[in-house]
Amino acid sequence: MAAAQGSPALRAAKSCKKQRTVKRQTGIYTYQEPPHSNSDDDTGEEKAESHDPEQIFQNIQYQKEIMSNIRCRPWPMRQKLRALRQAKEIVLKYEGRLTRTRGYQAAGAELWKKFIRLAYNFVVIFIPWEMRIKKIESHFGSGVASYFIFLRWLFGINIVLTIMTGAFVVLPELLAGAPFGSTVSKTIPKEHIASAQDLDTIWSLGGYLQYSVLFYGYYGRDRKIGKAGYRLPLAYFLVGMAVFAYSFIILLKKMAKNSRMSLASASDENYTFCWRLFCAWDYLIGNPEAAESKAAAIVNSIREAILEEQEKKKSKNLAVTISLRIIANILVLLSLAGSIYIIYFVVDRSQRLERTKKELTLWEKNEVSVVVSLITMIAPSAFELVAALEMYHPRTTLRFQLARVLVLYLGNLYSLIIALLDKVDSMSVTDSDVNTNASNSTISLASNTLSKDDNLTIPNVQIKRNGFVTLEEHRTQGLTDSLVNQTISFNTQNPQDQCWETYVGQEMLKLSIIDMIFTVASILLIDFFRGLCVRYLSDCWCWDLESKFPEYGEFKIAENVLHLVYNQGMIWMGAFFSPCLPAFNVLKLIGLMYLRSWAVLTCNVPHQQVFRASRSNNFYLAMLLFMLFLCMLPTIFAIARYKPSLSCGPFSGQEKIYDIVSETIQNDFPTWFNTVITYISSPVVVLPALLLLFMLIYYLQSIARSLKFTNNQLRMKIQTERTEDKKKVVQMAVARIQNLDANDKRPEQETDIISQESSARSSTPRKNGSVLNFESPVSKGTRIQTISQSVPQAVPTTDVVRPANTTPTTLTSLTPAPSVSSVQKPRNDHITNRYPSVVHRSASELCKTKPYTPVTFKKHTEDVHSDPLFRKAIRQVNSDALGARAPVFLGCRPYATRYFLVNENESRKKSLRSTSRLQRHFRKEESRDIIELYPRHVRRYVVRTPHQMYSPHPSEDEEDEEELEKEFMNGSHRPRSLSDLRPGSRFYIGDHADGHILMSKDLGRVHYKSWDDGFELDLDRPPYAYKKVHLNYPEPRAKPKSKQKLEQSLTESDSISIESSSDPQNSSNDQYIQVIHTKDKYPKTGAKLTKKKSKTSVDLSMSEPSELVCSNV
Amino acid sequence: AYKRFSELLPKEERENAYSARVPKSQILTLPELRANPFQHRICHVFSTSETGDDSMSFEDFLDMLSVFSDSATSDIKSHYAFRIFDFDNDGILDRKDLEHLVNCLTGQGEESQLSGAEMEQLIQNILEESDIDKDGTINLSEFQHVVSRSPDFASSFKIVL
Repeated sequence: MAAAQGSPALRAAKSCKKQRTVKRQTGIYTYQEPPHSNSDDDTGEEKAESHDPEQIFQNIQYQKEIMSNIRCRPWPMRQKLRALRQAKEIVLKYEGRLTRTRGYQAAGAELWKKFIRLAYNFVVIFIPWEMRIKKIESHFGSGVASYFIFLRWLFGINIVLTIMTGAFVVLPELLAGAPFGSTVSKTIPKEHIASAQDLDTIWSLGGYLQYSVLFYGYYGRDRKIGKAGYRLPLAYFLVGMAVFAYSFIILLKKMAKNSRMSLASASDENYTFCWRLFCAWDYLIGNPEAAESKAAAIVNSIREAILEEQEKKKSKNLAVTISLRIIANILVLLSLAGSIYIIYFVVDRSQRLERTKKELTLWEKNEVSVVVSLITMIAPSAFELVAALEMYHPRTTLRFQLARVLVLYLGNLYSLIIALLDKVDSMSVTDSDVNTNASNSTISLASNTLSKDDNLTIPNVQIKRNGFVTLEEHRTQGLTDSLVNQTISFNTQNPQDQCWETYVGQEMLKLSIIDMIFTVASILLIDFFRGLCVRYLSDCWCWDLESKFPEYGEFKIAENVLHLVYNQGMIWMGAFFSPCLPAFNVLKLIGLMYLRSWAVLTCNVPHQQVFRASRSNNFYLAMLLFMLFLCMLPTIFAIARYKPSLSCGPFSGQEKIYDIVSETIQNDFPTWFNTVITYISSPVVVLPALLLLFMLIYYLQSIARSLKFTNNQLRMKIQTERTEDKKKVVQMAVARIQNLDANDKRPEQETDIISQESSARSSTPRKNGSVLNFESPVSKGTRIQTISQSVPQAVPTTDVVRPANTTPTTLTSLTPAPSVSSVQKPRNDHITNRYPSVVHRSASELCKTKPYTPVTFKKHTEDVHSDPLFRKAIRQVNSDALGARAPVFLGCRPYATRYFLVNENESRKKSLRSTSRLQRHFRKEESRDIIELYPRHVRRYVVRTPHQMYSPHPSEDEEDEEELEKEFMNGSHRPRSLSDLRPGSRFYIGDHADGHILMSKDLGRVHYKSWDDGFELDLDRPPYAYKKVHLNYPEPRAKPKSKQKLEQSLTESDSISIESSSDPQNSSNDQYIQVIHTKDKYPKTGAKLTKKKSKTSVDLSMSEPSELVCSNV
Repeated sequence: AYKRFSELLPKEERENAYSARVPKSQILTLPELRANPFQHRICHVFSTSETGDDSMSFEDFLDMLSVFSDSATSDIKSHYAFRIFDFDNDGILDRKDLEHLVNCLTGQGEESQLSGAEMEQLIQNILEESDIDKDGTINLSEFQHVVSRSPDFASSFKIVL
């Protein structure tokens, strides 16, 4: 086929077709050429000779199509190259003829393509860690690699977030904002300055770090900064929101893309075993160890599937497992609650400690984040242990595990943030408390001193105690001084300490850092050292360390991904309060990437459980989205609920953080805009808008629901069709068995058939002689005959002999199958059996309608007979066809028969398209008058019979692939309609017929080679179709006698050919001869038919082919 | 790819690498193929050598890589996968092929091999699922039908140099 592809335009149509068909049959694996290219090919061939520019253009188009599709064809490279080169040559050759500009365009396109390719290759270099990921992929398969790809994607997101915050918030502040130390919020308080550079303070993000761009508190409150008047507070707010918005959008976009990609995989389809077998191996795996574990995983999964299948039928004692599961769930819930409580407790404790103690130890400062990180590390393993109790299916276990870990992470984050906000609350309370206390105390102190003074001054007499009093006074003086000092220091210290936003930001950043440290530690300890131990100690240990207890660390994709998600959630939560958090996260991710990939390559083994890469992608993203949403809530809550701290940050002095927006709108925009905004934000607009939104949501949802419904329906349809296919196969099998029973009756039937034949031909004695010949047929030959008989009988029924014959025909139609089945290879069973079964069915229908037949000698009997047959296929068309047929009477009958043949093929495919096409054809033929019909029948039969074998032919290759079949039907239909359109030119049609016959000959050869009985069956169709015509001829009595003679002779030749095929018993070698006979017959009959129209020397010419056939036999 | 290919050739043949053929044993030393249980089949399927020694020319090698590349359509991939799984090259997957395939996947180890009953059950199930026309074998279109529904076939059926 490829060779035919390569030089289609240069070769003559016949040779090309021959080649193609031969190739299609011989090479099992040659790609099925789509039908459209097939027809295009034909036109292209014609065009090579003709010089019509339009055609040339089409040809070029076609060649270009080849070029573009060449990658999609499974040919060897050499063939591809050759085909491509030839196609290009042709294009070059003919393109010049059309226009020069087109050539330039093509050249430009070519250049552009090359450039794109180059650019693409260039870009690949800059994709970070591409090679690293590929390497991991090649060692551990796509599952592990998906983790790293996800990591990289997160890295990308964080880069964008960093750029956003960096460009719009951090940089302007650094460049144009008030310099360090210029304002209160930007200076380190005096008593802290000594310790500001200590590692201890730096570690807890105090000191210089606290008063830097890292945190919210540093940013100035000036509405405009710099010469250009950059509105920093507004920018801060907007960027904070944009971070969330961007994350949302990018996540949703990615998810939509992924889901579109995975849309094809409907979850309802159940091919568990096949997938486990055919798609099990990950071809990327190149590491022997990974391969081993993969093989083990495959074995496990296969065993599991088998066990599952076996246990599906049994019911199990569930009491133990259920109780175990309940216990496990309780344990998990307890641990969740415990972790939440611990976090809350720790935050509370740190708060108390801060209040009571002046100097905190390192542990006390980092307590919170360390505890949180510890919980996040330990709890998943605990959950895993618990999950072992439950005895779920591994996949369910994984799901449960993931859900629990996710809940744990969320609980941690939430309890942390809630505790923090609680602290913020108490902080603002203590803030005011301290203020009032301070003033109160000073006042009380003053009054105290005053009272003391009074007291002291009044008892002047008591000079004794004077010294004491003065001493006391001094002391009080000092006390008040210190108190005042204290209050002053309080007042100066408070604004900075009470900057709760900074505090939250600090806490989040601390958490992030500690988390990173713990991750690194766990990788080093759990993976690396374990790996080292296992590797080097296994020789001198009492058991095999590599396979028993410590083993090598597994790379748990799901847990690691969850950890990434958790990490990202922290970033989102803290990004508003600490603008540099994304930047930090970028660094963290880079580190993590290198560390992880190193660890994976050196000391990890792939996870035993198979975590599907394609499914998981969206799963990760869904988790991330969930996390994003939940992380956004507390931030938004804090923004909306809490009053920004008074003396620090860009929003200080405002009631709410978002006031900045309305303020800006009020002050900096023109008044008309302001009024517009007020209108828009008024309930008059907002309420309808909300309503509209709700309506829209409802509408879209209902649309989605209906789409889902139709989706389900379509799926149901596919399923039912599949089951119907199966049913059909079963029916065929049943029919086959029945046929076996009917096998022995064959001889009598045949005589009957012959007699019927002869009666149709006003019975000549010679035929009876042939009947005698038929007495000895064995298996195969009979099949041909019987089929050829049954169909004509099913339809043309005006003969008097007819009713008597119906019973035999049903029997005969039953006979073919056994003979087929006896010889056939199992593979072709269904193909071959289709025909017999269809025939058989029609015959059985005939049986049912038998009571009608005696009554009707009219044309309508035929309708009655055909009706049930047709009903089998497509009822609607049937009624249409009947209605259409009614007015045309005689001439139409042959058509009807033909249609049934076509329909037999098509009904199986259940394609609506074919039905419509049928109708169209019908109408076309309807329009012809009856007299003219006669020659055309013949002609068309000649033309069409090849089609009838053509259309079944692809179905062998395609089996039940409906779409493809449709396409093939399309292809096979086209030429026919062409011939229909040009009825006048006899020569043309004869030519066509020739071509097709040649084709059929090729097919015949091919079939012969493949020795498939099914094919032979197809081949045997032409004779019967042909004969059918003749059987129909007697009906139009108005025709001249010469025609009748011709019919006789023709049928003679037919019967002889049948004879020849039946005489040689099972050997298909002889059938080949027979096939050739039919071939020989065709061109000649075609020629004869043209002659016959002129009605000259009919008998002579007719006798010739029969003689020829005889001699050949 | 060319570099990798020429590395497989002995020194003296380097200059005419386009026409030279690399023997099968050399091809199998590629790390990408080393661990693959279907390495022999892959070599066989992609080799165009007339003598049947499964040696590969550069074009064959390119062929293989293009089929296993990311940009190949799943049709092509499944087509070649079918050929790889078709151990006796008769155009259909019958029970023997499936058995062979399972054995390839499970490896040579005694304990990892499936027992006879398991194998029987497995093959029975596979045929039940995929054999649409109930002829006891799986042909190309049935195979493609099944495989195309699989979500991660295309992502796993690839080789990266």
